[in-house]
Amino acid sequence: MNQPAMPKLTYRQWLNKQGCRFAPALFFIALLVFWELICRLGNVPQYILPSPSAIVEAFFNVEFSRWMTHLWATLRVALMGFGLSILISLPLSIGMIRSELLNRTLYPALIVIQSTPVVAVAPLIIVLMGTDDPSRVLITCLITFFPLVVSTTTGMLETPPELIELSQSLRAPRYRETWQIRIPYAIPHIFSGLRVSITLAIIGAVVAEFVAAEQGLGYFIQFSTSFFKIPQAFAGLIFLSAISLLLFKSVQWLQLWLFPWSLPKKK
Amino acid sequence: MSESSENNHQQAYVSMKNFGHRYGPDPQAPIAVQDINLDIHRHEFVAVVGPSGCGKSTLLRMVSGLLIPSHGEVSVFNRAVTEPRDDVGIVFQKPNLLPWLTVKKNVLFPLKHKYGRVREEDKKRADELLKMTGLSAFSDKMPDELSGGMQQRVGIVRALLLNPDILLMDEPFSALDALTREQIGFDLLDIWRDHPKTVLFITHSITEAVLLADRILVMSKRPGTVLDLIEVDLPRPRNAETINSARFSELTNIIRGHIYEPTSHA
Repeated sequence: MNQPAMPKLTYRQWLNKQGCRFAPALFFIALLVFWELICRLGNVPQYILPSPSAIVEAFFNVEFSRWMTHLWATLRVALMGFGLSILISLPLSIGMIRSELLNRTLYPALIVIQSTPVVAVAPLIIVLMGTDDPSRVLITCLITFFPLVVSTTTGMLETPPELIELSQSLRAPRYRETWQIRIPYAIPHIFSGLRVSITLAIIGAVVAEFVAAEQGLGYFIQFSTSFFKIPQAFAGLIFLSAISLLLFKSVQWLQLWLFPWSLPKKK
Repeated sequence: MSESSENNHQQAYVSMKNFGHRYGPDPQAPIAVQDINLDIHRHEFVAVVGPSGCGKSTLLRMVSGLLIPSHGEVSVFNRAVTEPRDDVGIVFQKPNLLPWLTVKKNVLFPLKHKYGRVREEDKKRADELLKMTGLSAFSDKMPDELSGGMQQRVGIVRALLLNPDILLMDEPFSALDALTREQIGFDLLDIWRDHPKTVLFITHSITEAVLLADRILVMSKRPGTVLDLIEVDLPRPRNAETINSARFSELTNIIRGHIYEPTSHA
């Protein structure tokens, strides 16, 4: 054994390492088992707390095509609202960075919009704009655009001043300063805003469905609850969370794929 | 300490006359720099040394046209500086490379940024400059794959791309460790020998100033005024031995004297 061996881990170090690796999954499984046991041993009625097995059963009792219809309805509104948010917030942020007047004028208005609970405004929007997609998209947009504006402006303002001086010393046009320096610098911030916003988009779509809808996962959950199909409501809820998580992850993958340099370096 | 240029028939590339700056129009506003008179000649290397906050960087920004002086005048090629010029390149304190561009694209960035496009001959020139500075092997690497010293070398190459007549350097090596710093100083001398430029070099390192410069402007604490203008008569090419010479220590001691006893100057 002359070759330099890997430093040997003590048993305790090894256990620690493996623990860190599997602890989250183990904790999750333990939680499920605990939940199942409480429901079975305590004879908890299903309409109060359904057991995990009952939820799984309820999930498969709903036809796949029905799931897809509801999923599509929610996803469509969430993604349209999210897309609209991006379209609004990016030009808005650029405008606010470039013009002090615009910044002073719009910032208070944005704060007011952000401080108004969207849940409370949603019924008014439905009354005002009808029960179709546009009003749902607007509700989603209202809930998602603020984090995007804040993250984009923060990112653009954090551009090193010396780089702005470099741009000025070259007498480059302002739009190139924005596009070639400030916006790329804001990418990490923009993506953290996007991650927050995409999960908010799902929340926005569900809020809109709670107010008025005939389709969508939010509607499905509400409908199931009102008929005391609690396991089915839970199944809808878990499906919704899974979709939300998937979207969150997709934004991360998108960043890794398009802007690998913008991610913190792993050691 | 009259101007040393009277017997010099060369045209001054950079000229500062009774030049100073006050932050804001209020007469009580703090003065950054005061009463600077200096002519910098063709292919001359002038260093500015002074304690932190003496307005060295303000001085450089005014020569570059990024900041307009409140008093006096600074002119480049006999024209008052009112805005940044194409024939002046700047190397900043930090390399300030764009993390999303490769080394080569960073070098080409000033052209891309100024004109929106890069020609084939520019790419060739970038390659040559990278080769000259020993960075060829890194031209497709991302900035964060390079050491601090190499990043700042890229920063220098970027400033050289537009082939400026005048190079302004704002404490370019201050973020580097001592060993790298000395090495990159010698590298800069090599580049300067092969591609002579008129250089205004801001630093707070006395030894760096003596090693690199032809003349050294020693500045006092705020408000920054000129304490002395020292001719560095060390022979070129300068190298590690220069640092060990008696004259080198003599010169550094003179400057040190000025900086630590500012009241003793005439």
